[in-house]
Amino acid sequence: MKLISFNVIMSLIAGCFVSLIVLPILALLTATSFGELINQLGSPIVLSTVLISLETALIVVLLALLLGVPVAYLLAMKNFRGKEILDTLVDLPISMPPLVAGLALLILLGGNSPIGGFLSHHGVDLIFTKKGIIIAQLFVSAPFLIKSSREAFESLNKNFANASLMLGASKFYTFKKVLLPLAKNGIYAGMVMTWARALGEFGATSMVAGCIPFKTETMTVAIYQNAMSGEPASSIAISLLLIVFSFSSLIIFKSRIKRQSCLS
Amino acid sequence: MDIMLKKISKSYNGSIILNKLDLEINRGEFHVLLGPSGSGKTTILSIIAGLTRQDEGDILIGNRNVSGLPPEKRRIGFVFQDNALFPHLTAFDNVAYGLRVRKVKKDGIRRKVDYYLSKVKLEKEKDKFPHELSGGQKQRVALIRALAAKPEILLMDEPMSSLDALTKDTIVNELKSIQQEIGMTTIYVTHNQDEAVLLGDRVSVLNHGKIEQNESPDKLFYHPKTKFVARFVGIKNILNVSVMEIKQHDVSMQINRGRSNQPIRIKVKKYPIFEKGKEISLCIHPEKITLKREMKVIDVNSNRIRGKITNKINNGHAIQATIDIGGVMLHATIPKDLFDFKPFEDVWVCFDRDAPHPLCGRRQRTRETERRCLSM
Repeated sequence: MKLISFNVIMSLIAGCFVSLIVLPILALLTATSFGELINQLGSPIVLSTVLISLETALIVVLLALLLGVPVAYLLAMKNFRGKEILDTLVDLPISMPPLVAGLALLILLGGNSPIGGFLSHHGVDLIFTKKGIIIAQLFVSAPFLIKSSREAFESLNKNFANASLMLGASKFYTFKKVLLPLAKNGIYAGMVMTWARALGEFGATSMVAGCIPFKTETMTVAIYQNAMSGEPASSIAISLLLIVFSFSSLIIFKSRIKRQSCLS
Repeated sequence: MDIMLKKISKSYNGSIILNKLDLEINRGEFHVLLGPSGSGKTTILSIIAGLTRQDEGDILIGNRNVSGLPPEKRRIGFVFQDNALFPHLTAFDNVAYGLRVRKVKKDGIRRKVDYYLSKVKLEKEKDKFPHELSGGQKQRVALIRALAAKPEILLMDEPMSSLDALTKDTIVNELKSIQQEIGMTTIYVTHNQDEAVLLGDRVSVLNHGKIEQNESPDKLFYHPKTKFVARFVGIKNILNVSVMEIKQHDVSMQINRGRSNQPIRIKVKKYPIFEKGKEISLCIHPEKITLKREMKVIDVNSNRIRGKITNKINNGHAIQATIDIGGVMLHATIPKDLFDFKPFEDVWVCFDRDAPHPLCGRRQRTRETERRCLSM
């Protein structure tokens, strides 16, 4: 009897939480008609925001992979002076408010700063450009990939790398043929989180790149702009599309993990 | 000499793991490092392999000083305790890994991997991943993976520790026969004395980063030189005795067992280390002790002490009996079919004069002390 009542209480709590996720999505779905949705998604300005968001998020994932995996490897496998500091720095963007991150990047990359001035002098403008979006998104989302990859490397038996070295392999060969393949699920998980975070990034992106239609207006920025300027239909259409992107990337990732675990 | 360790020292966080350790291993020798946990045996392997950097000392393999070389340049095979097979590769690919690193052609890889798989009778398992193999099969793959890469020497770190007794027996035999066939110098780490006896050409017993004794298994088990070695190889009979009288061939001794007890006299084969009045430790192998009911059947030249059986344990092959000889416990290992005594029965404990031998009690001996200690 006690067990049944315990299970009922747990199920009710779980039901409340699921409602918290499902109800807002349902609210979005019921706030527009199918015809209006298609109409909005077909408009050039919405298509442009979708393409800009997908393009920048994709580049961010690739850059995070390129820059983040080595950082994750070092943090997981090596002991060096200043490791704690590096570890904290890598995690900092996760806890930092995106607007603060955006402001910091704006100051760093703006024309008045030495770095921004130097880049601008050499024809590289980052503020109010797609490059700025990428940097802002990379800043806030790459730590997710690093964190997940680091956990994946840390979970590996240290003797895998040692065994490879004892078989005559170089450290790079060991990394490529043993460590990377074994840590790939963690890296994939980090890529999905980075992708979702980059796609949904608003605060830092809007501070660094602003909201120039057909140039720097991303989906999240468009949602805010349209909702504030009395065009909720467009905001709802883009929001639903973002949910579809997030959901499908999670489904693809989970099915991949499932297939891997069936194989191994 | 194939492997030479010269004055190797290693400390971790201020605690000394190895202290100026010297070790020489002959070409083709199967050398066992035997010791309890924390004695430094795995650290020695790790230092030879280059996975751990020594604080001091040199490592020579053949004529090469490999002390400064990274692990991948040392040409050493290593079998890990947990086998460390790559879980994302099949048995075939695991064995082929070292060959691919060395850029051996595909045909050569297939031929060599098939050869080694057949050596350990795993041809049918070649497409299986490690999680599909049994514990014994995994260790066999780990062994041939190390051998296939053609190392100069082979290091094995407690590879049998997670295997059941039956699998262990089979693999020990396979390992010994493969090692003898290819004649590869091998260092094998274990805390199991049975593995050491079965596999080792020579055994080094380690204690707190020092080699206590380095000898053939027979000498080590029947003539341990220190209390630690005696206890570690399972000889519990260590008697504190005083030398009473030295004759031409034997020596009279008195077992020290406290002032309140009557002295027990025994006669022991003469060793040069014995000096009249000197206190010394003697060790008697439990298999060299026999038990008798009646005094008249005992050889007059044998030692005989009256005692009471206080405990007996059946270990499957023999009975391990504990006998109280008046405050001192002696342990005897008697074949099952010769043991017909009851617990708490009074018996005669018998052993020949050459059964006890002195424990010199020193780890580092000069040649002269060594000679005086044990030679006749």
